[in-house]
Amino acid sequence: MVRTNSKLSLSKGLKALTLALTLGVANNAVAGLNIFACEPEYAALAKELAPDAKIYSATTALQDPHQVQARPSLIAKMRQADLAICAGADLEVGWLPMLQMKSANAKVRSTDQGLFFAAEQIETLDQLASVDRSMGDVHAKGNPHLHFDPVRMLDVAKALTAKMIVLDPDAKSEYEAALASFSKRWQAAIPNWQAKAKPLQGSKVIAYHSSFRYLFNWLGIEQVADLEPKPGIPPSSSHLASLLNRAKQGDVLAIVIASYQSERGADWLAERSKLPVLVLPMSVGGNDQSVDLFSLYDSAIDLLLSAKQ
Amino acid sequence: MTVSTMRLTGVAAACALISTQALANDPTLTNPAISAVLDGYYQSADRPMTERVEGFGLGHTELALSANIDDMFYGKLTAIVEIHDGETELGLEEAFIQTLAMPGGFSIRAGRFLSDIGYLNNQHVHTDSFSDRPAAYRAFLGSHYFDDGVRLSYVAPTDLYWTMGVEAFKGDSMRAEDEHGERDFENLGVYTAFTKFGGDIGDNSSWQAGLSYLRNENGRMTAAEEHDHAEPEEHTDHGHDHSHSAQYTGENTYVADFVYKWAPSGNYKYQHLTVSGEYFRVTDFKPFEEHHEDEEHEEHGHGEGGKDYQEGWYLSSVYQFSPHWSAGLRYGEVDTQMMHGDHFDPQKLKETEVSLAWHHSHFSTVRLQYTNQKGTNFDGIEDDNVITLQYVMTLGAHGAHQF
Repeated sequence: MVRTNSKLSLSKGLKALTLALTLGVANNAVAGLNIFACEPEYAALAKELAPDAKIYSATTALQDPHQVQARPSLIAKMRQADLAICAGADLEVGWLPMLQMKSANAKVRSTDQGLFFAAEQIETLDQLASVDRSMGDVHAKGNPHLHFDPVRMLDVAKALTAKMIVLDPDAKSEYEAALASFSKRWQAAIPNWQAKAKPLQGSKVIAYHSSFRYLFNWLGIEQVADLEPKPGIPPSSSHLASLLNRAKQGDVLAIVIASYQSERGADWLAERSKLPVLVLPMSVGGNDQSVDLFSLYDSAIDLLLSAKQ
Repeated sequence: MTVSTMRLTGVAAACALISTQALANDPTLTNPAISAVLDGYYQSADRPMTERVEGFGLGHTELALSANIDDMFYGKLTAIVEIHDGETELGLEEAFIQTLAMPGGFSIRAGRFLSDIGYLNNQHVHTDSFSDRPAAYRAFLGSHYFDDGVRLSYVAPTDLYWTMGVEAFKGDSMRAEDEHGERDFENLGVYTAFTKFGGDIGDNSSWQAGLSYLRNENGRMTAAEEHDHAEPEEHTDHGHDHSHSAQYTGENTYVADFVYKWAPSGNYKYQHLTVSGEYFRVTDFKPFEEHHEDEEHEEHGHGEGGKDYQEGWYLSSVYQFSPHWSAGLRYGEVDTQMMHGDHFDPQKLKETEVSLAWHHSHFSTVRLQYTNQKGTNFDGIEDDNVITLQYVMTLGAHGAHQF
């Protein structure tokens, strides 16, 4: 960590600063951590927990995080980062190691230092004892799209705060205050979301990939079929035909895809099965409504409810 | 390196390693990442300066093993298995260590590795969109230049990507042809310096551009002796040279490269476009004409054979129009000079290539490629059409790709 002397003198006035922060007063005096987020949901979480940090998201909610180019701009951003926050569970295995290698930034090389994997903080769903490529592009470490589970996200937030305090101990009370504020608002929101999503309980959907595994798990929605024949393999016509037979049973609520997924297969199926296609925001920025983690959850639930009417 | 029993043990050991790895829960952290590339093809005719031959064959079959050694070093070993004239050869393409925790954006790589000059050179050939490297690469770098040496790289802490580096190599594969085996070559033959810049243009596009220089102490040819005039040229054997050596060398090589990638919203899953191009200029290859120093107005290295440089370039465009299909178009030229006794004859090779690839998944590719090669005084090539049907498949650990 590189800290300036002005920061040290500022820490004397930390109490006043914390007060200012909790009062929501904009404060740009502290040069915070430089944070590289692999996905926008973690950029959004970092924004909640480290309001003064300089945060960059490597991907948008319109980009498939499995297939990201280790492009020059990302190397340049990672070169300057104090902390890299990623989903983990091998989601970024095709590009993160290359960025680490090329950016030559020792700070974000290992989880002992400034590298943080959300999936390592919680128990992932669908862990596999053994993995074979004939199963598709699956990961033994379980499903990495965990940001749609509010309880797991709170655990991630706590662990992330602890990590930021280790990296930037001078601003400890600021991070603690930010976590307290986030936790309070998040815990208040959870029962509201659950109440709102009550009608969705027991619904059946056909979805693309296991992108919303945690959301469905949390809200009691069952994904009865996958548009992908195998994880990572795009919908084929024979597979879609079998899905049409499944849809004809009449118990499916909707076809759900994420903001970065192609609508082609879903539209084909929707046309023949008369089911609605719901494009849920995969992350913050996935639609106009999703501007932060709170509105992301609201938007996803609202869209699912829209199929109920 | 060419012991078949060793090969069998090696493969058996690799199989054992792979099965253990499949059982491991956390291959990215605690165990080496092990991957293999299988490459097989059918090609309708020979192409110059390549290892692929007419008919059925195996291409770049490789077995790679990599891991963080500790918190300071990363290591990678890539073995390549090639069949040549019925012999199975095991070669090492990469065996290097790289620092992970040097301060200030510096890193050092040592051992055997791919030089970071140009755009394509440091990429593994199995990630290419065409069955062979462009003619310029095959002529001047022996398809892809890897060697024993050391590299120092630096990445600047700027939002615009900016890296630069220097390398020093043994340079054996870049030596000028030595017909009589009498030449004293420098042991430290090759030095390079390179810089690359890159960034994004909005959410949809990314780019990178680079400039490289390669100094080859052993690149200048030696003068042919008087009695050699009528000797048949060894160059006719180019198409089957298996030594990974550069066919055309010079003391100084300059490379300019660029790559531009586009994907809708920057989402590479469904569609994306890659446009890339490189230009090579290899200079100072003509032997010093010591015998003629007294002759009027004749400069060193500029005999009557014309220009003292060779050049090559290519422009490639590859479009993935669905997750399963991609198509590529590439055009490239090389202008080289071939020594005939005391003078040089210009040669030219033009290649137009179209490829269509089917990707069942991220890990399997089947490619059909059509190549038209037009030559002028180039290994007897006039106007050849070549069809290549090839598969490239990777198994084991999911390697991270370079931009």
